[in-house]
Amino acid sequence: MDNKLPFNDVIDQRHHRRSDLSSFEYTHKAEITSIHKLTEQENLYRIQIIDPAERERFEFRPGQFLMLELPGIGDAPFSISSPPSRKGDVELCIRKVGGLTSFLSRVERGTHVGIRGPFGTSFPMEKMYGQNIMLIAGGLGLAPLRTPISYVQENRSRFNNVDIIYGTKDPLQLLFTYQYDMWRADDMRLSIIVEKPDASWQGRTGMITRVIEEIFEERDDAFFRNTYAIVCGPPIMFKFVCSMLNQKDLPMQKMFVSLERRMHCGMGKCCRCNVGSTYTCLSGPVFDYWTVMNLKEAI
Amino acid sequence: MIFRVIEKAELRSLFTMLSAANRVIGPVGVGLDRSGRQLYGFEEVHDFDRVALDYTMTSLSAKKYFLPYREIMATFTMDNKDWQKRIDYNIDAPFVFFGMHACDINALNRLDKVLMGSVYPMPYYAAKRKNAFIIGIGCEPQPNCFCRSMGTDTALHGFDMFITDIGDRYFIEIQSDTAFNFLKKIRTGEPVEADHLSFMKTGAGKNEKFAASVDTTDLTKILDMEFQSEVWKQWGDKCLGCGTCANVCPTCYCYSVEEEVSIDLTAAAKVKKLYSCNLIDFAVVAGGHNFRPERHSRLKYRYYHKHRGFVEAYEESLCVGCGRCGEACLADITVPEVIASVREGRKTDGQ
Amino acid sequence: MSDSPAKAYLGVPVRRPRVAFFELSSCEGCQLQILNNEASLLDFLSLVEVVRFREGMSGGSDEYEIAFVEGSVTRDDEVGRLQKIRETAKVLVAFGSCACFGGVNQLKNRFCLDWVKKEVYGDHPVETAEVRPLDAIVQVDLRIYGCPVKKEEVEKIVTHIAIGSDITYPRYPVCMECKANGNVCLYDLGEPCLGPVTRAGCDSWCPNNRAGCWGCRGPSDDMNILQLVDIMKRHGFSEETILDRLECFGGFSGHLEGLKK
Repeated sequence: MDNKLPFNDVIDQRHHRRSDLSSFEYTHKAEITSIHKLTEQENLYRIQIIDPAERERFEFRPGQFLMLELPGIGDAPFSISSPPSRKGDVELCIRKVGGLTSFLSRVERGTHVGIRGPFGTSFPMEKMYGQNIMLIAGGLGLAPLRTPISYVQENRSRFNNVDIIYGTKDPLQLLFTYQYDMWRADDMRLSIIVEKPDASWQGRTGMITRVIEEIFEERDDAFFRNTYAIVCGPPIMFKFVCSMLNQKDLPMQKMFVSLERRMHCGMGKCCRCNVGSTYTCLSGPVFDYWTVMNLKEAI
Repeated sequence: MIFRVIEKAELRSLFTMLSAANRVIGPVGVGLDRSGRQLYGFEEVHDFDRVALDYTMTSLSAKKYFLPYREIMATFTMDNKDWQKRIDYNIDAPFVFFGMHACDINALNRLDKVLMGSVYPMPYYAAKRKNAFIIGIGCEPQPNCFCRSMGTDTALHGFDMFITDIGDRYFIEIQSDTAFNFLKKIRTGEPVEADHLSFMKTGAGKNEKFAASVDTTDLTKILDMEFQSEVWKQWGDKCLGCGTCANVCPTCYCYSVEEEVSIDLTAAAKVKKLYSCNLIDFAVVAGGHNFRPERHSRLKYRYYHKHRGFVEAYEESLCVGCGRCGEACLADITVPEVIASVREGRKTDGQ
Repeated sequence: MSDSPAKAYLGVPVRRPRVAFFELSSCEGCQLQILNNEASLLDFLSLVEVVRFREGMSGGSDEYEIAFVEGSVTRDDEVGRLQKIRETAKVLVAFGSCACFGGVNQLKNRFCLDWVKKEVYGDHPVETAEVRPLDAIVQVDLRIYGCPVKKEEVEKIVTHIAIGSDITYPRYPVCMECKANGNVCLYDLGEPCLGPVTRAGCDSWCPNNRAGCWGCRGPSDDMNILQLVDIMKRHGFSEETILDRLECFGGFSGHLEGLKK
């Protein structure tokens, strides 16, 4: 009699469709179709999933991220900077800070990379219909904020007053300068502020909170009762901004921030992105500020 | 559940039958420590006489057979700007686990929740878990065991069959069709009332032997309240930051990924390595910022994940009270002492 | 050694840097490690152009970008040689524990120099000074730890140099690798071991063979040496035994204050 144990094929048993299998470690092969230098440190990469059907299926929402893989070099999470309507033809704004991003800054157009995702939570744009929106970014925070901005742009009539508030260290670090006029043309008010102006700078100077104070002076309390805020930037920045907004009775659950952590899987397995004990990749990266307040180690 | 009793000698027949056709992993003696105490480990066994059915505690858990310390997740063949990726879940044949204690079975059950039950089931783990034929075996509480506090001193599921020594015979709980069919091939008997009583007596006797315990009352809240407690710093001063607690732990599953390029540049591999949240660079992001730069913040995080975060998500602790981390820690950091010190706001070991 | 065809990785052209090997006071065992893997030697040579390597070729050029320097500085003439290498090399690699920390050589710093000379050379004294690691004299760009270096690690680092990706070391201690290898803890066996404070990357070479770690790769990041010394004492090891270990390769020399009497 045969005493061999029966083999359980995990794929047949647990994954009935190929798309389920694809949720773990399956990589969409994509091609870098353009590289555009934004600043000394940041490049904008346009990356297109090669298979047209897969590209069409790559649906994401503003605030979600993907895992970008360079075989043999590494993989890391990046928030998507392009409009959701463009699906698997994404743009990633990437700063040269580590091993993967430095290598990426040396690759040419036409190189194939891997994409997994999209992963994580998103900004609940539909909830904000009919409301005022404050889109606030500090530094590289404009990269993830660009997706909700383009969403609002594509659906401008659904939103009431739209403010984009953007602050950087100095004018040379301003990202996506070529889009500012288009945003303004779509009736989104853009306020830019830099900490350290150079000789040619004619705009506002100071911290981002200065712009918010200006808005406080010009709007009444009723305005803030009908407002949502999306805040992207370093923790110290969104902490200040959100506390200010909360003074105006903007509920913390109507403010959304995006957290950045180290990740290897993007799927709630490797634990590297945990804040306290919450997975940034599953419960985030987009959190409302009330949740962030309750997360140990978040700020 | 279906129960059977077997004569003790029949277990050898079962082993022989299983090992003739399958790879069998079991507890074996691996030497004596400096005070002459027997050390145990899980290894592949071919001979029933090598199986240490009465083993106390293995130094390392059974984890590596389900979550290898180092595992190749994918390989690439490189072709200038292009490449091909191949994914292999690394299981070629089912295997038998002959003699797993309740804590370790419960550890797998907890891992199942994260690694198989979530939005993204992890096929690397599932492939091994689904192909393990697990025979559980009863145990004697050791000085460091606090499984009873964690509710993991008995296993309700997650095994194929479970053996309890009831004196002259073995009492067997059967949970899978596969186990039932194997047991048909040896001599078994239906348990009678006397066997039931012996089984219950064995359980009651075990309960009296626990020396260590952890008070889990309100623990999730207490951990939040005591987040800034000085005791964490005191434990952090002791901690070596070596990651041994995570490596011996049956439920620590976090990992690191390293990409390797072959020296002729024609191939690459994505390698998963089990990691530890106590290691210095666990929470370092690109650019170098470390979210947990101090040893105490990392040690605290480990307790947070085990005893708070997991409870919040799954309504039970990720710690199964096997006591291995305390046993292995050179700095004598044990879960019962750390939790007690957090509850009391001071370290309890008199230092 | 002829030029191999130009290679690229993910479209990025692979540089084939000119590499030279040098030795100061050492056993040249680290350099031998490179020759110790015939299977991958040719691939290694296709990644770098070796222009000077006493263990493997005669002659040599003084035009190189990367200098692998093995050994520590024990004589004045070595200071001059090292400075000249530094001037030529774009990248200076401290190759092995002697170059990184002084290595076994620096044990002599424990003793009076005159006594050392007499003990070793008797009536035929040679010029010798206090042993110093390379970075006491010149700037070091890259360190490859180990006594000897581990050839797999050298190959990995050279591969990374060639394709221009980041070079990283384990920041954690040897215990991580030792546990992954399933070893019984040497403290359980009554052996002293510096695994808990020593940088990993050796795949716990010594503990795998039931020999305690001597710390040849130097300290891991954020190691807790005071706690380990305490533990060693509790395990009954004398202060002399503990210091002998910690001082053996020189990696812990900056961390021994308060431990020495």
